Amino acid sequence: MKKGEAIGIGLLWVLLVTAGCQIVPPGFSQTAGNIGSAFAAAETTLRYAHEGKITYAYAASSFASYQSELSGNDQTLVSAQGAPSSASMHSLLALYQEAMQVVNAPCLSAACNWQRQVASLDRASQAFLKAGNA
Amino acid sequence: MKKQWLAIALGIMTATGGFLDAGTVATSGEAGAKFGLGLIWAVLLATIAVILLVEMVGRFTAVSQKTYADAIREDFGFRFYLLPLTAEIIAESLLLAAELGGMAIALSLLTGISYHVFFPLAALFVWMMAWRGSFDLIENGPAMLGLLTLSFVAGIIALGGIPLTLLPTLWKPNFQQGTVADYFYLVAGILGATISPYLLHFYSSGAREENWSGKSLLLNRVTAIVGMSFGSLGSMALVVLGAIVLQPLNITSNTLGELGLAMAKPFGIVGSFLFALVLFTTCLGAALEITLALSYNVSQGFGWEWGEGKKPVEAARFNLALTIFLLVGVAIGLIGVDPLQLALFASTVIALFLPISLAPFLIIMNDSQYLGDKTNKRFTNIAIICILLIAFVVAIVSLPLVIITGGG
Repeated sequence: MKKGEAIGIGLLWVLLVTAGCQIVPPGFSQTAGNIGSAFAAAETTLRYAHEGKITYAYAASSFASYQSELSGNDQTLVSAQGAPSSASMHSLLALYQEAMQVVNAPCLSAACNWQRQVASLDRASQAFLKAGNA
Repeated sequence: MKKQWLAIALGIMTATGGFLDAGTVATSGEAGAKFGLGLIWAVLLATIAVILLVEMVGRFTAVSQKTYADAIREDFGFRFYLLPLTAEIIAESLLLAAELGGMAIALSLLTGISYHVFFPLAALFVWMMAWRGSFDLIENGPAMLGLLTLSFVAGIIALGGIPLTLLPTLWKPNFQQGTVADYFYLVAGILGATISPYLLHFYSSGAREENWSGKSLLLNRVTAIVGMSFGSLGSMALVVLGAIVLQPLNITSNTLGELGLAMAKPFGIVGSFLFALVLFTTCLGAALEITLALSYNVSQGFGWEWGEGKKPVEAARFNLALTIFLLVGVAIGLIGVDPLQLALFASTVIALFLPISLAPFLIIMNDSQYLGDKTNKRFTNIAIICILLIAFVVAIVSLPLVIITGGG
């Protein structure tokens, strides 16, 4: 390959990447949307487990994945580009902490209050999805 | 004659059952959950490409009595052969790790035990089957169980079919804010996951293992067209299930377990169990095919003895190669990347490398010294070149984006 061609291909690559960056959302929207989706998945998983649609084993395995997907996202959210006012952020982080307690210790037996956990996940999911679309 | 029809039926079933793997499961489910039916076109395009390519590689091997790797080395020289080989080793090692991860996650979903525990066991199981199993067992065993993918179609029927309100997403997908990059990443992923070069090496070497000849051309054509078309049904059904069940719940299918929820809605526990079983068998089949395809490729390129019909001692370097590739897959998996994200990334990398992997093959398919009067028709050449270019352009645009934005 000639030097000129190599430079041309390199420039094209940079151009494509730069053009692509224009359509990438602010970091905050992306992060909030992803967190909202993950809490929505966790809420459905917990509800399905108690409605007998999936086994507790299935739910336990899924929650392990949600845990690794979600943990540390509060830090990412705070440092994300385009973060909202501190009051809104404070409210989101409070919902995050509450929902993460459920993700870390989901109620996977009939002996605990799973409805409250589902409600907590649902609240967090709705708030984060709304923040992601704002 | 009866024997030939039996072989055709078996070929169709194995192609159908063996179509899905971790890459197609991950990309199809996420496509439906994020964009409704808006990426069905990519699955259709990939299916056309894979039908054309599988038919070609089968025709080439049956007529020339040479494998795909043999021909590339012979026609372009050993130094050139190392280029597609390197590209395939990089991309398919990533995919192999994702397949092993998919098997481990399936077992985890069934038992509730962490998938990290099952990961090395999955690799050991694949190694034992590849080391000791016959080619027939490897080709037909997981693929027969893979026919369970058709339960995804049953799931759609049980949910009342595709809602009419979803149909407009076929031509006008729902773009949430900033999801354009995601869309192109998934297009590249779907194309790369379906048009994987490992499939061609496996198919070509399998045709030699089964002593295909000019008489096998009908079997080859029917297997490619009917088997791959039925196989793509599983992939399309996953897109539809994601769109019907997951999208309204705002679930974007970022983990493999989430996809099982789509089957749990119509069938309850049986549905989630079926999903885990399908995930396990399709990933097992793909892990075996990738391991063997890489070993076939290297052994044929370097002129070593190869073949699943041979005892390990008779094809020692071939068996050593498959052991090494599995160890590389395990090492990549142990880094700790989520198997679904790894499958998506590997599929996009494959799409990026497709022109390197398949351009020499297209040239050979037009060489009458190998194929006599069975060379490619102009339409086939143009269709494949267009699809490979689309895959390449989409991959080269979306891959850096995803790396910059940290995924999606």
